[in-house]
Amino acid sequence: MFNKVLVANRGEIAVRIIKACQELKVKTVAIYSDVDKKAPHAQMADESIGLGDPTPIESYLNIPKIIKIAQKVNADGIHPGYGFLAENPDFAQSCNDVNIKFIGPSPKVISLMGDKIAAKKTMQNAGVPVIPGYHGVNQDDESLIKEGKKIGFPLLVKAAAGGGGKGMRIVHSENTLAESIESSKRESASAFGDNTIFLEKYLNKPRHIEFQILADEYGNTIHLFERECSIQRRHQKIIEESPSPVMTPSLRKKMGESAVAAAKAVGYSNAGTVEFMVDGDKNYYFMEMNTRLQVEHPITEMTTGIDLAKWQLRIASGEKLTLKQNDLYQRGHAIECRIYAEDPANGFLPSIGRLEKVEPPKGPNVRDDSGIVTGLEITSYYDPMLSKIVTYSENREENINKMIWALSRYIVMGVTTNISFLKKVIEHSEFKKGNITTHFIENYFEDWTIAKDGLPIEAIISLAVYDSMHKKTKDMVRYKEVDPHSPWKHVGRWRVGGEEV
Amino acid sequence: MFINYEHQNHVYNVTIEQRDKYFFITYNNSEYKVEAEELKPGQLKIKIGNRIIKSVITEGDKEKYVFVDGNVFKVKPVELTGTKKKKRREDGDLSSPISGKVVNVKVKKDDIVKKGQVLMVIEAMKMEYLIRAPNNGKIKKVNFKENDQIEIGQNTVEIENEED
Repeated sequence: MFNKVLVANRGEIAVRIIKACQELKVKTVAIYSDVDKKAPHAQMADESIGLGDPTPIESYLNIPKIIKIAQKVNADGIHPGYGFLAENPDFAQSCNDVNIKFIGPSPKVISLMGDKIAAKKTMQNAGVPVIPGYHGVNQDDESLIKEGKKIGFPLLVKAAAGGGGKGMRIVHSENTLAESIESSKRESASAFGDNTIFLEKYLNKPRHIEFQILADEYGNTIHLFERECSIQRRHQKIIEESPSPVMTPSLRKKMGESAVAAAKAVGYSNAGTVEFMVDGDKNYYFMEMNTRLQVEHPITEMTTGIDLAKWQLRIASGEKLTLKQNDLYQRGHAIECRIYAEDPANGFLPSIGRLEKVEPPKGPNVRDDSGIVTGLEITSYYDPMLSKIVTYSENREENINKMIWALSRYIVMGVTTNISFLKKVIEHSEFKKGNITTHFIENYFEDWTIAKDGLPIEAIISLAVYDSMHKKTKDMVRYKEVDPHSPWKHVGRWRVGGEEV
Repeated sequence: MFINYEHQNHVYNVTIEQRDKYFFITYNNSEYKVEAEELKPGQLKIKIGNRIIKSVITEGDKEKYVFVDGNVFKVKPVELTGTKKKKRREDGDLSSPISGKVVNVKVKKDDIVKKGQVLMVIEAMKMEYLIRAPNNGKIKKVNFKENDQIEIGQNTVEIENEED
């Protein structure tokens, strides 16, 4: 096992990894930018080293800075978390170069899976179903149009280097194919510096279902069943659950075997995720492999009882995977809701400010993976995800009720969060029935906004009672006679239904 | 005790009196008689008849937050008089008495106006405030146009007195 691990991340995932290290009696080193000095991850670790400038490129994305710190503190492992440098092969290589173990797969695998066209080819050769499409090198418009017609409509034009929906176009007919190819190329060139695109069949009633993989460095590979991640807002997952409401034992077995085959095909080691699209007829297709711990890993931990973060550390330190596929069971149902500092009433724009109060719900089988505390300042430098609330119950129906309970008691004051939106989604009748696709949010919540009904009477009464209990003299003098022209002066004090006072 | 809360540009006028163990709250022509207890700092349990309200209140820098029924509401105590502006308004002062939005500009440069004529309309907190000419004169300059944001104390219009 490692002696000392540097956690090259921030927020809830850094906290999660530090806790896993602590359980395994591994010393921890946190890094923090200037704005994260008081963040929980920086305070929990045994050592905390400042990165200075909060700009991501100068802090959590700065490879030389992080490697230098790791060497200085004598860390023998670096855990990248997710996001930031987690899927950067140069970072993994830089760790190897200075003999610090990168806790994840090899740089070679990371870079292979990062190239979506190469990844698909590899999977196709390994017998893993891939979405019919064109991933070829002929990128001239004429060839692309010809290949597009071959695949048929509707089809999807995607940026090879893409992500987050950039460079993505749905083409419904031949008429708009040429212009979509052109604009997708333009967009991906400006977003990723690469205008390579590919064409894919567009799926009917698509779901995003992924399989968790664990592989050791001796070729032992298992899967830990599926996660249903179809509830996405602008290609960003917001609610995940396990098991998937459409999964059957035979489909699970088939997809699980494909996922293991996919991991073995690239010589995968450590924790990873194979993402599939599943269409309305339950055909499944390989989409991509994420070479890291996922945000939504807790739902797998809840339903299998396996601690993925600890296994990452064990595997990276050279231990053998002692878990056998046939010993694993899925039990009960888990849901995760991602809590973002976003204002649903204002186009989901990030909300920044000081957290005046944070009080997560506590209860049986309620897990809060959080990177925030009261008093912390939320800035616009990083991803606005604050925490993840995870609930576990015997079955899906009960678990939806438990999640509603938990969301209704999650107090975050100071910045606006998406909690009320998450609750509305969970309460939706089609969600309850399990009728979900990756289009769920655009289908049912496209124009959704918070009803601006004003203050409910319960809030007014609470405030008045509070202010009455905490009366200060300055509250008593509301009408300072400073301004003789003030319209308020002429209103004067008044009493509802009474005389002017 | 008379209190105003501002929430989403709307002002709520509330009165509350404490008599014995009850609080009497008046809002929007209704009176509510409640019993209340602060369980922990900021955590309230309020009884209205058979109903129980549980809420949590936190004070920020300038605003207050109330958490009730799973929702968070942010309110600001209403500043009814300008604290930014110290000096008393003189007759003929054309500075804005309130921070808000200019909803109507009734005059343009070189217009001749009479004392008391409306020059500009400013809206704040769902209420309109009229800027009137303090004397007869000619408009020298109009400093704002429609939909502009105006801060308390900013000069709206400049007028050349007739006798000048």
